[in-house]
Amino acid sequence: MKEIRKKFRLPTKILKTLIKDSFQYPARLIIDTFTVIGRCGVLLVLYWSVFRLNNGVINGTTFIFSAWSIFFYFSFSTLRLREISKLMMEDIQTGNVEILFSKPISYLSYRMWWQVGSGLYSFVVVTIVTSIALILILGIPSTMTFGIFLPSLVLTFICASVLTLFLYSIVGLLSFWVEDINPVFWIVDKAVMILGGSYLPIALFPPFLYKISLFSPFGASQFVTHTVYRSWQTNWYQFVGIQLFWIILTGLVVYFMFRKAKQKLSVNGG
Amino acid sequence: MKELKFALYAIKKNIQSSAELRTSFLMNIVGMAINNTAFIFLWIFFVKSVGIIGGWTIYDIIALQGFTAVCFGIIFSAGYGIRKLADYVASGAFDRFMLSPKNLLVRIATSSFGVSALGDIVFGIVCLGIYAFLIHATIYQILLIALLVLISTIVFLAAVIVIYSMCFYFTDASSVTYGLFQLFFAPAMFHGGAFQGAMRFIFTFAIPSLLIGALPVEIVRDISLEKLLLVSILAIFWFVFSIKIFNRAVKKYESSNFMTFGQ
Repeated sequence: MKEIRKKFRLPTKILKTLIKDSFQYPARLIIDTFTVIGRCGVLLVLYWSVFRLNNGVINGTTFIFSAWSIFFYFSFSTLRLREISKLMMEDIQTGNVEILFSKPISYLSYRMWWQVGSGLYSFVVVTIVTSIALILILGIPSTMTFGIFLPSLVLTFICASVLTLFLYSIVGLLSFWVEDINPVFWIVDKAVMILGGSYLPIALFPPFLYKISLFSPFGASQFVTHTVYRSWQTNWYQFVGIQLFWIILTGLVVYFMFRKAKQKLSVNGG
Repeated sequence: MKELKFALYAIKKNIQSSAELRTSFLMNIVGMAINNTAFIFLWIFFVKSVGIIGGWTIYDIIALQGFTAVCFGIIFSAGYGIRKLADYVASGAFDRFMLSPKNLLVRIATSSFGVSALGDIVFGIVCLGIYAFLIHATIYQILLIALLVLISTIVFLAAVIVIYSMCFYFTDASSVTYGLFQLFFAPAMFHGGAFQGAMRFIFTFAIPSLLIGALPVEIVRDISLEKLLLVSILAIFWFVFSIKIFNRAVKKYESSNFMTFGQ
């Protein structure tokens, strides 16, 4: 029991501290809300007019499904999990990684929980506020009223968060070998953006692109955007299975990369 | 003239400094160019799924990405320092800029160089070249493209100055300026034909997103002199407005008296 409590001490401490810190910066929350409303809102208005010009249906999908799909992508992005790559790069370039390695905690655990904590408050508030706004303006698609929706959404969300952290941690750990990981980060980020259904809802994907989105880790990290569609009700376990596969694979890559990185690390003291 | 000479000198030194790390320099340029092609593919898939909206074809999407990339690249390569304004103000490094005898805005803007933005310039020029080839552009249209690159760059610069001047008003300036920039720049990269009615009005006159990409594309495609006049007048207005906003914002700055030796 003591051991279990010990294991949870680090994440709870980090999350508590960062959420308290978030309360001190209300401007950040307001800006995050306006950013989501601005980017997602503009996109939704555009797609509303696009669907209207196409008699309300494109590729067998109506506007309400695409709207909620796009909203889930932007809502998930407020968690800011992708920024773990840049934080890792900064730790390594500034030498801060030396101090963090000397602590009696796992650097990777620390960084991952830190990333979750730094975006959690914004994510919760922004998601609740904008969900309510979307329900009032658009309503809820019928697929979101089925019993399996909420539990499968929560499960997919957790898997997506873990997979996103692993994916971007792989990019961040490259900083031990590559001086500037920004080009790699941009390419991975764009792959996630396209295959995740951000600016183009996945329902509008051509068949080959949909397959790539389905079976790639980049698309799998954004499976929350698939939860509103009819296919989710019957195939949700396949989606979760794909996510678990990529979580295991990327988790192993992270583990071995980190082990290699610790061997490679040399600190220039001063 | 002196300020321009100083600006060019500062940019030259920044480029030389950045180019010392050759591999990183080239990787940043190539990586950014590859990164930008994602938006072209995205909107090509959009056009294939949705069809032609507002008369916009795939060629126009390429031109849109070209215009936005070039003006983004020019400002955030040579004037990358403006993006760091929030950090300068928060850390107290802004003091050294105020003590410099040079024009404050020029000094800040040329204090740093954005290597990756060179990739945006390369990508943008290639896109505009491909667009001109695909539409069999006349000499007149090519000259229009060059003129509109200049005008959209002025609008982009003005918008960036206004946005980053907000760091003098907020404590958590990095988040605020990031959000405002996303609000301005994200719609600039959207399919221009989908902006109709009130949305077009808002993103032309209130937030100048369409002035840097969508409207220049329509001016070149339709050879519309009315739109060219409108965009030119708005560019001048935004530039003058941005300088006034910046000068007013700087007056809010209070020195932290940090001892810094430059960054």
